This record gives sequence, structure tokens and C-alpha cells, in this order.
Amino acid sequence: MQQQQQTATLTTVFSEVLANLAFMFTDTEPGEPVLEGEWLETMISYHGPYQGTLRLRCTRAFTVLLAANLLGIDPDDDEAEHGADDAAKEFMNIVCGQLVTTLHGTDPVFNLSIPRSTPLAEPPDLYSEDVSTTSTLWVEGHPVQLVYAAGPPTAGA
Amino acid sequence: MSHNVLIVDDSATIRQMVRKVMQMAGLDVGEVYEAANGIEALAQLADRDVDVILVDINMPTMNGIQLLTRMKQNARLKDIPIVIASTEGSKQRIDQMKEFGASGYVRKPFQPEQLRDVLAPILGVSSHAAAAADGNADDGLF
Repeated sequence: MQQQQQTATLTTVFSEVLANLAFMFTDTEPGEPVLEGEWLETMISYHGPYQGTLRLRCTRAFTVLLAANLLGIDPDDDEAEHGADDAAKEFMNIVCGQLVTTLHGTDPVFNLSIPRSTPLAEPPDLYSEDVSTTSTLWVEGHPVQLVYAAGPPTAGA
Repeated sequence: MSHNVLIVDDSATIRQMVRKVMQMAGLDVGEVYEAANGIEALAQLADRDVDVILVDINMPTMNGIQLLTRMKQNARLKDIPIVIASTEGSKQRIDQMKEFGASGYVRKPFQPEQLRDVLAPILGVSSHAAAAADGNADDGLF
């Protein structure tokens, strides 16, 4: 499967998990985007017969909203703020688990890394034209960027 | 009769979600204990009685496979039903869990009824067990 197709598959899997797990829905048009605030990158990789790395780049405000939806609480609740990082990491864990079977089938066994989140020094290029690796979506006004790379994690990842 | 449950998952968010999903599934749950990895789970099990354990696979320190193996080697713990709740969907991995003695498997993300269909027969909840057995072959039970 070409990398561009793999990225498209990631977009589909991401949207489905987001809908099924958090009852949130993706859009390809920005609407009124929420761009300000701290940006985070949550990364997870898998290895086995094939290898790959997934990254989710989003604002902290999105992770708070994600946590609120996962827990069924108000985004202003302290619990949503407290659980934001954990929600993003577990969300990517589930996306990765779904992605590997979608891309590679259910026969091979893969090991997933423990997801980790790091702050980004600056917002990513949301209008990147490199669709072979990058997909930018909008969720309730929040931009989220997905980056997929086949192969082992790059140095520093 | 309510049932005590131990949820073993490194994500606090998932542990809270599972608590709510169990309530939504209509299961008669008593005490719910939590552990973030296998080591914490074994510590909880040292002085608590639980009726079923939900275990993630991918956890730091001691993962779900290691926990399962340790429990099956322990005379006091080996008969506690263990349900794997994981993102992993590999057939080999699921078969491996069965060989190691897991009682069931539910893949994340799961809906309340999917968790109910796996847990109810293990806990002997007759109404839901009947619903799960009635035409639902893929109920996640081994």
C-alpha cells in the first residue's frame, strides 16, 4: 500500500475511533478554527513484521475537550484538564491498535509502544501539501494533524 | 449479588470510562478497584477478593501478558476470571491470551453491550447471559 493510501486509511480510522469512543466528528473544512494556545504532539509506534509511527498534533484545548467527551463531563471540569494528556495518549493507543489491523490484517502480531506527549515549540504547518504523510482535520473547530510514517521511528522520536 | 471488579489499565481515563460503561451495561457491580499496571494489580489482589479482572495488554512496568502468567502460577489467584480489554486485534495475540488462561477478550473501543456480553456470563448474570448467548456468537468469550 502506498504511503498516501496509508495516510488516508489513518484518517478514516482516526475519524471512526473518535466517533465511536468520544462521539466527536471530523471535518475537512476549518469553520472557525481555534488555533491559539499550547500545541502538543502525541506519538506512538508499532513494530512486528511491519513498523510505523503515528503522531497526533493538536492544541491542549483539543485534548481537554477529548478528555471531557471520553469521561462524559463538562470541558470546564477540572477532571477534563487533569486527564487531558492521558486521554490523548490512550486515544492514540486505540487508533494505533485499529490501524495496524486495518493496514496489515489480523494475522501478524504487533507490539505497540507506550504513547508519549511532548509540547511543540510552534504550531505545525496545517496547510502542508505533503499528503503522503500528513492529514489535517478539524474537530469542533479544533485543528488536528495526523502524521504517519511507515518504518521504524526516526532518530529523536 | 454484586460483583467486585479490578480494572488494570495504565490510563486513568480508561479506568474511569470502564467504570461508567459497566454501570451503563446494567451489570451489578460492587467494589471497583483500579491498578495502573501488573505490579499494582498483584498488590491489590494480595488483600482483596475480586470476581473478575479487566486487563489491558500494553502497560509499562508489568504488562497484561506478564500479569496473566503470574496469576496463573499463583494458587490463590489462578481461578479468578481475567478478561483482556485491549486495542490489539491480532488473532495470534487473542489465541495466546486464551492459551494463557484468559476467560474473554473485548477490543477497545467497546460499547457497553459488548462489555456486558463478555462479563455477564462470567459473573453468572442470567438475563444478560441469555441475551449474549441468544444469537450472538461473537461475544468475546473463550
